[in-house]
Amino acid sequence: MPNIAVFIEQRDGNFKKVAWQMLSEAKRITAAAGGEVWGLCLGADATAEAAKYGADKVFTATGDAFNIYNSELWSTAVAQFCTGEKPDLLLIGSTAMGKDLGPKVAAKLDCACISDSVGLTYENGWTVRRPIYAGKCYIDVEPVTDMAVVGIRPNAFVLEENAGTGSAATFSPDLSGVEPKATVTNIEASAGGRVELTEAEIVVSGGRGIKGPENYALIEKLADALGAAAGASRAVVDAGWVDYSHQVGQTGKTVGPNLYIACGISGAIQHLAGMSSSKCIVAINKDANAPIFKAADYGVVADLFDVVPALTEEVIKLRG
Amino acid sequence: MKIAVCVKQVPDSETRIKLDAPSTELDQSSFTRVLNPYDAYAVEEAIKIKEAGTDVEVVAITVGPETVKETIKKDCLAVGCDKAILIDDPALQDADESALATVLTAVLQKDSYDLILFGIKAIDDDSGQVGIMVAEKLGLPHVSTITQLDLGDGTLTAHREIEGGKEVVTAPLPAVLTCQKGLNEPRLPSLPNIMKAGMKPIDKLTCADLGLEAPAAKAKIKMYYPPAARGECKLVEADDPAAAARELARLLNEEAKVI
Repeated sequence: MPNIAVFIEQRDGNFKKVAWQMLSEAKRITAAAGGEVWGLCLGADATAEAAKYGADKVFTATGDAFNIYNSELWSTAVAQFCTGEKPDLLLIGSTAMGKDLGPKVAAKLDCACISDSVGLTYENGWTVRRPIYAGKCYIDVEPVTDMAVVGIRPNAFVLEENAGTGSAATFSPDLSGVEPKATVTNIEASAGGRVELTEAEIVVSGGRGIKGPENYALIEKLADALGAAAGASRAVVDAGWVDYSHQVGQTGKTVGPNLYIACGISGAIQHLAGMSSSKCIVAINKDANAPIFKAADYGVVADLFDVVPALTEEVIKLRG
Repeated sequence: MKIAVCVKQVPDSETRIKLDAPSTELDQSSFTRVLNPYDAYAVEEAIKIKEAGTDVEVVAITVGPETVKETIKKDCLAVGCDKAILIDDPALQDADESALATVLTAVLQKDSYDLILFGIKAIDDDSGQVGIMVAEKLGLPHVSTITQLDLGDGTLTAHREIEGGKEVVTAPLPAVLTCQKGLNEPRLPSLPNIMKAGMKPIDKLTCADLGLEAPAAKAKIKMYYPPAARGECKLVEADDPAAAARELARLLNEEAKVI
């Protein structure tokens, strides 16, 4: 019977939603296959919240080492947890922290590591599904080691409240003699404060059709009305109109939100690759022949300068 | 100072994947191969450090078949790397991230590097594991996803991209870094330099040369799938943009239920 451990990421005591999504999926698997779902949180007590999404047991480690993320200290603690409790899988959200932590933990445990996955199946062993080539293709991967670290893409799994036993357990890693090596001296928030692209449930992106950096505000206004992240095509980023951190595509961020609205984006294959796993795709473009319409569920053939502000108004009305 | 840049040749981002049905293999014969775009930031950063300092040697290291040499010449040696090491071993054909990390670790241990640079990930496998695993295997500090780097005396300060901002991280040298877009603007090779790159050495090694048995993969690809097919695009027809926007908002709210 598979026991699945879920790393519950926290920064400043705020938990990442992907942790609850992973717990929900782990609970769905163990409900059918047996086994337990364990939560592991370093630096904060997530027991009450984790139990709501199906955690049977929640391990909490506290101490100064977990006030701020450190790759060496945190990976040592997580590896010790895995060595001690021996879960079949350790799920870690594919966030900035998770992408740093997962491979490090796997290297310490000398076990399989599968990044940025979107599907898990348990049937005489594990099968993990994940996109490659930014989503132009998907693969099924099987770990051949007893334990595997699996990165899970935010929003890949449906959140579901499903109470687990939620018993609290203390976990006391031994970090004596572990050098922090690389240390975070400061965290600087970027201006804007919008939701992060890779975690957003809605993304509004602008392409070359916005004609200049001054018009990106149209995209941002629609994004704000929707509580969405603001993205951009490579053309817009390479032209210097928008910061690279907004780029969606094979050489930027890969996103899979519930709704992706592409405004003035023609739909180059490397852009489509980065957003094609979005559940609903809307294209707004004045060129009816733009390839983006082939990837979209809904299309509006019109000038984005007319449609986007009008859509922003409609959304504001809808959301009252 | 000695800098290693670990790079990979990948299909370029315009590549179309030909796959109509699930398959145990992926036809890669028609792919145009280039330097992984993220590795170009690592190469550029190394060359910038070389240009700013004295007595800096930059070594490009890659794993792959003989055919990666053209990419190494044009995108590493012609832009300023001094030499390259190619690990060409047919036993590594199915190597996973962990196996590659083991091989690269063995190569890096043969010399003494102050800085080891990687791209954040390769755009084919999208894994982003190897650099971090190498750091762990070498017992070195690492900073992943860097967008700025400043070297001090035996230390470095890097900006690391995180959700909604950045971390400022300091680490002692030697260290491993994975490079993100925004770090720099990679230069293009000039034609004369491409010609001259042919003179720079590319050392070829096998696992046996490294005293290694080819490491076994810890995860195996069983099946390739095309992405789920999408239905027809529903075009919103309306007399004017305001009406189109109204209808689109209605569809997203009532039909797709996404807003």
